[in-house]
Parts: sequence; structure tokens; C-alpha cells
Amino acid sequence: MTEIPVAVADGLSKRFGRRLAVEDFSFALAPGEVFGLLGPNGSGKSTILRMLVGYLRPSAGSATIAGFDVVADGRAARTHIGYVPEEAPLYGAMRVAEFLRAMASLKGLGPDYASAEVDRVCRTLDIDDVRGSIIGQLSRGYRQRVAIAQALLGAPPLLVLDEPTNGLDPRQIIEFRELILALAGRHAILVTSHILGEVEKVADRAAIVLNGRLLAIENVRTDAGQKCDLESRFLQLTAEPA
Amino acid sequence: MNLTGLGPLYRKEMAAIFFSPMAYAWIAVFVLLSGYSFCAHLFHGRSASLVPMLFQAALLLILTIPLLTMRQFAEERRNGTLELLLSTPVGDLAVVLGKFFANLSLVALLLLLMLALPGALATVADPDWGPVISGYIGLLMLAAALIAVGLAMSAATSNQLVAAVLSLGLFLLLWMAEVLGVLLPAPLDGFAIALSLDTRFAPFAAGAVYLSDFGFFLTLTMVGIALCVAALTRR
Repeated sequence: MTEIPVAVADGLSKRFGRRLAVEDFSFALAPGEVFGLLGPNGSGKSTILRMLVGYLRPSAGSATIAGFDVVADGRAARTHIGYVPEEAPLYGAMRVAEFLRAMASLKGLGPDYASAEVDRVCRTLDIDDVRGSIIGQLSRGYRQRVAIAQALLGAPPLLVLDEPTNGLDPRQIIEFRELILALAGRHAILVTSHILGEVEKVADRAAIVLNGRLLAIENVRTDAGQKCDLESRFLQLTAEPA
Repeated sequence: MNLTGLGPLYRKEMAAIFFSPMAYAWIAVFVLLSGYSFCAHLFHGRSASLVPMLFQAALLLILTIPLLTMRQFAEERRNGTLELLLSTPVGDLAVVLGKFFANLSLVALLLLLMLALPGALATVADPDWGPVISGYIGLLMLAAALIAVGLAMSAATSNQLVAAVLSLGLFLLLWMAEVLGVLLPAPLDGFAIALSLDTRFAPFAAGAVYLSDFGFFLTLTMVGIALCVAALTRR
């Protein structure tokens, strides 16, 4: 039986004034799959994510999350997404538990379920000891965990992570990679990075994006568990003509 | 009309407002200046009228509400939290109304504290409560309109200072529109006077609540909220 994709984009394009930031982007994401969006800074990766999570309205094309159109049925689509924007923006003046409870309410979780979910995500992300801390006073690594914790509230089928390892130290990057691999299977994960090695280590498939255009979608891991040489493929696709 | 999440958004905004020292500083300065104005007229002018204090409070609202509203969307956009907020299943209107009602609640609290002034007057005299009540209603209506327009300015830009300057400029222009009306030929003069915040507020301070003035402030509030939602959805 064919699995119903968690996320589908069909010819997504975004224009800012005269500049075409994303052109004709299409893909489908299967449940439990980790999908990487790989490209240099400014290649349109974040814009693609912002259209999928409903923050930006596509100029052309369409996208669905769990079968709901992100424009026509945006609210229903957004209930199936956990999103961590680039730089993990949080309300720095709030305490961790207070922030997570507020986000749970905004996601429409009832009080009892919200409370149980806050407990669950705090355990999953190992942030129980900072629940009473003010977010603005936390280290970058902890703030990143809090950002992922809010995305996990309500156990959405799709996690969207924009450059999640930016600003993390090497140990935090390794921990984060392990977290992604632990969450894969339970959630489909769409992750962007401009670091090729990061995508290679966590993704099942990766899309290579340059100047807003999809160059290729590569299987990072084959069915036999072997890894493809993403680096060579990336260099080949993005090579400037002589 | 999607108002999903209005309750949690309102609570989040209230927490944000009362966590910030800005709200306390604003209330303290406002009450201090209003008290000073009240005492000056009472003792120096030997007048037991609250009308001058009400007008000064209206002017203070015009001058200070941009300081409250400027950061509401501009800061969220700059910090990236607006992106986080709008990726949850809340509606744009709910986001705007959450901020609107939270700021209006702050003004309502301020006006509640300022009721101490007519209360003090009542201990030594017998004030006419009609104009007092209508004056306070007028201040609340004026504040609602200013907050809505201020939020729209904040939603239109990611720069807090630009939002504040635009709001203040527009508020002062609307406050002084009556003066502009004198300089304009008919029928523009009547139009300018009809838009004047000063002209619309004056009957409230004098104890007269006209439906047209009430409707004016309500319309301005709704236009501000609509512009704010439009600025937010233009992305």
C-alpha cells in the first residue's frame, strides 16, 4: 500500500517584487522520512519552508500538509506542523514552562493534554531542569532545545527545522543529530542546512536548491543502507560553467 | 472570521505587557502628570472641574500610546517570533485582537487608577458625575482608536522608531485637524473638522455622549484593526 505523503509541494514559487526567490519547487515527503533541503545561504530554502508552514503565501503553485492546502485550509494544515524558524526565535522574557504552556494553548491543546505534553517534551529534550528559567538567560544550546520542544507539542506528523545547527558548538551539533535520528520515524522531518555534511548524516533524501531552483532530489541512503556521495553530486550540480 | 487562539494570545500579551517595566513606567508617569494637572487646576485655578485634566489625559494618550504600540509587531517581526506565532493554527485577526485587547486593558487599568482623582474631589466637593463618567468613556474610546491605528503602523514596518514616528505624526495630525479645517475651503473644512480627535473628544469631556462621536471612534478603531490585519497578511 502506498503511504500518503505528509507534505506535498507542487510547483511552489515565490516572488518578492521583481525578484523570484523560489521557482517551481515540487517534492513529496513520506511519513517518518527525514528530508534535507541543501543549498548555499540565500538559495531560497527558508522561503520554501515559510510557504509550507503558511507564513508566506506562494506566488504560484500549491502545497498540502497532511492533505490540507496550506493556503485554502491553512489553519488545519498548521495543526499538523511543528516549526522551528532559523535562529530559533523565542520570547526571551518568558520562563520555559510558561512559554511551552502558551505555545500548547496556541496550538489548540486542551489544558490537561497541554500539561501532559509539556511534561513529555521537557523529558524528551532533557530540559526539565530549566523549566523555571527565563528563556533569555539560557545558553544557545538550551534555547535550541526549547525551540524544538515547542515544535514537538501535540506530536505533529511533520517537523520543519530551519538551519537548526546554526550557532551550536560541536558537541551540541552531535547531540542534535542524535535527536533528529531519534525523532525520525515518529515524525517526518524537513530540515534545511547549508552544511552538506549535516544533511548527509541525518537525511534519507535531500533536495539540492540553488538560486531558488530545485536542481535534484537525491537518495542519501539507499535501501541497502549505503550512502550516496552527496558531496560529488552537489559539486557537479552547482558547478559554474567554464 | 477566524478568532482561534484569541484567549491564549490575550493572556500571552498581558503577560508580556506586565513583565515589561515599560507598562509600570507608563502608568506611573501618566498618573503623576494627571495628578499634577488636577492639583494645579484645583489649587491654583481654584476650579473643581475635571475637564482640563481630561483634555490633558487625552493629549498624553496621543503622545504616549505610540510608545506602547510601536514594538508590538515591529519587534516580533525583527526577533522572528512573529514567524513562530503565525505558524501556529491561530488566525491573523486573533493575533491582532490579542494585542489590541491587551493594550486596551492596560489603558483601562490606568483609567481605573485615575478614578482616584474624582474620588479625591468627591471628599471635599460634590462633583457632577455625568461628565466624569462620559469623560472617562471618551478617554477609553480615544485610546481604543489610537491603539488600533498604532498597531497598524507597527505591523506595517519592522522598525519600531518608524512605527512610533508614523503613529505620533498621524495622531497629532488628527488631533489638530480642526485647525486645518479653518484653512480649507468648503466642503473640505467640514470633512477636516469631522476627522478631528479634539472635536470628537470635546463633547465627552463636557458630559455629552453623541452617537456620532461614539461611532467615529468605533469606526477609527475598526479601520485600524482592518489595516493591521491587512499589513499582517501581506506577506
